[in-house]
Amino acid sequence: MKCIITIELGTNAVRVFAFDLHGNVIGSQRGYYPTFHTEPDYSEQDPDQMFITMLYSLKNLLNEHIHPKKYKVASICFSASMHSVLAVDKNGNPLGNAITWSDNRAKKEADKLKSSALGKTIYTATGTPLHPMSPLMKIAWIKNKDKERFRQTSKFLSIKSYIIKQLTDEYIIDYSIASATGLLNIHKMKWDADALKFAGITAAMLPDLVPVFTRLGKLKKAYQSSLGLPADTKIIVGSSDGCMAILGDGVKGEGKATITIEDSGAVRVMGDKVLKDDKQRFFNYLLTEDRYVSGGPTNNGGVIFEWFTRQFGDFKNPFDIEYSMQELIAEASKAPAGSEGLLFLPYLLGERAPIWNANAKGVYFGLNIKHDKRHLIRATIEGILYEIYSIGKTLEEHRGIKLLSVNGSFANIPFCTQMIADIFNKPVQLRQNFHSVSYGAFLVAATEMGIYKNLDEATKTVVLPDEYLPVKPNHTAYMKYFKIFERLSTKLAPEFEEIANLQ
Amino acid sequence: MHQFVFQQGLSGELQLFPHIIELGAKKNQAIHLNSFPQSVSECIRIYYVNEGKFEWSVNDESFILYPGDVSLIKPNEKFGSGKGVLEIGSISWIHIKIQNHGNNELLSGRWSSLSETESQAISKVLLMNNMPVLSKLPEVGRILRYIHDEIFNQEIGFSTRANQLIDELFIIITRHLTKQNNRGRDFPKVFMQLEQALRQNLSQQWTVEEMAAIAGMGTTLFNEKVKSYTGFTPLNYLINIRISEAIKLLKKIDVSITDIALDTGFYSSQHFSTTFKKLTGYTPSQFRKNNLSYD
Repeated sequence: MKCIITIELGTNAVRVFAFDLHGNVIGSQRGYYPTFHTEPDYSEQDPDQMFITMLYSLKNLLNEHIHPKKYKVASICFSASMHSVLAVDKNGNPLGNAITWSDNRAKKEADKLKSSALGKTIYTATGTPLHPMSPLMKIAWIKNKDKERFRQTSKFLSIKSYIIKQLTDEYIIDYSIASATGLLNIHKMKWDADALKFAGITAAMLPDLVPVFTRLGKLKKAYQSSLGLPADTKIIVGSSDGCMAILGDGVKGEGKATITIEDSGAVRVMGDKVLKDDKQRFFNYLLTEDRYVSGGPTNNGGVIFEWFTRQFGDFKNPFDIEYSMQELIAEASKAPAGSEGLLFLPYLLGERAPIWNANAKGVYFGLNIKHDKRHLIRATIEGILYEIYSIGKTLEEHRGIKLLSVNGSFANIPFCTQMIADIFNKPVQLRQNFHSVSYGAFLVAATEMGIYKNLDEATKTVVLPDEYLPVKPNHTAYMKYFKIFERLSTKLAPEFEEIANLQ
Repeated sequence: MHQFVFQQGLSGELQLFPHIIELGAKKNQAIHLNSFPQSVSECIRIYYVNEGKFEWSVNDESFILYPGDVSLIKPNEKFGSGKGVLEIGSISWIHIKIQNHGNNELLSGRWSSLSETESQAISKVLLMNNMPVLSKLPEVGRILRYIHDEIFNQEIGFSTRANQLIDELFIIITRHLTKQNNRGRDFPKVFMQLEQALRQNLSQQWTVEEMAAIAGMGTTLFNEKVKSYTGFTPLNYLINIRISEAIKLLKKIDVSITDIALDTGFYSSQHFSTTFKKLTGYTPSQFRKNNLSYD
């Protein structure tokens, strides 16, 4: 029996899944790696620890679920979080840690480019918002602020490129991850000359571009033997977590959007054209040459409710945050939709889409003497989801959305899923206990193997059984308050800036 | 409690307790110059505030203590009043001589009935602690009083009981230390602190008990939480860190493989080699050959 293994190099952990050829999960394994914040704006990860953790998790999965049941691993397909940058020297050895998407050190580089005409040209060409998350800005930062590292750098890699280099000895990057670097011209599918110039590098300092289906060279002998994998195991480069999530939810064209909410969140649509937005609010990433994944990311997803739970949850069982969250949600459900006029702006971590304001802060608004704990909890959740809606609403200016699917640990909480349906006034589909990113990677690998003719055929197999239907009166209630939420989110900009300076 | 000071060598009461260098209680009713100068000692010193407000300095950092607060001064730390003056109020204290075998074990004296592993875990927590003030720990005041009563009254079994009380003192302080910043809410934060402690002391052998003690949890809960958070058992997670650090060192030519093994906490280069190969497929020397940076 053959199986397909998917490896997702996520923000906090690597997730390894094994699927049979029908897409059923045989087993999975998760391996955490830490993020280091050595300076306030820094977020870094150790590429070697990520590699070892990936290897160890893969090995455990193989030894527990694959080898004992005599499965043959047909292929291994990768996905990874976007926007990471790792500088390596001429021997391929890391120069410092990998810089992750949430790193904000390149604020100045981003601000400067954003306010210039060149910025608009680069955004239009590359599809990546001009933001410190973008590798374009990070490389520019290294060039300006860490000259010694820049001088020694032979190549700038994504973390996935580094991991694959360890396994097969090739420097490659797939179009999806590349399209999130701010350096790829997504129309010409080549590195963009203007962006390269701004970053101060040449195309030779970046890995080779390949389509997501690309089969890489053989696994190095040492790993064949330590993992117990045959030499003909295919290594498929795969895509980014964002593109895989929408693919794994079965979206193949217009009319449907996918909402992902883990710690952070995003609303994404897929289409054969780039979304053009004068306000530069969206990203446009490439899945394949004729499929663009467009949308907007928020910093303030489940991480905000976790923060709230840590402050106000009961924690009857020490460290059991899930249980405390459930208890809070049970209380929140006792307050009416709209929390009787209590609003929450969830910008504890600043915000990306749609307001793109790094100085934005959290706000409870409309608090009166009759509000109690239930309202505060409910308003917190509503605020997080209003923010998701405000991204969805701006997307709807460009694309019709009739149906939603949700994934991610926060969006999958039934109370939240129903609230998403009510706020958007659209039916919501989800698949419980399933990881959309990994399933997307399975679909890519299975398509590469010829099990499906193409990705359209592959996505047809996605069945999302659970459907949440919107409750009209709730929608009406939410919309009354959302109007105020939306106005507040931009109205407070000067005060956000002033308070940010004081903090 | 009335005022008293027992000092090793001067007070007969301490004859059976060579590890207690000083035990005392003082009710201070007037401020005198130079009544509490800063000093350095090889003992572990524990001070408890019964009444009053005291401003003390530990290694030149100043702390304010209120009734119920405890100051824990590690060996060779400078401690005393920043102004040299003892404020008005009431305090009690104990100075304990520690064994120094260079193995980071503080409480291995014959007087202690702690098991070897527990003693090591407690020592590790105490040595790694950077918070010289523990707030609201009235048990310490009570135990100090009981120790005095046992030593003063000399009833049957007093030497055993006094020593047990000292063990208890350290257990209570250790538990409080690890829970001070941890209200059972933020496991990611607790884990991050533990991660840091492990990295900073990677060459040491770590037991699960010690890691759990640093995290301020029982081993059962600790094992369960680490497994669900990281996907690995605590000791396997530690192997991840050890191997990732070893990889970095292997890429530098000037460190010998034996040194790398010991620096990253393996028993021997043999143990390092087997573990490394099992995970990566390469022996450390093969790996080094493939990845060396030549400048």
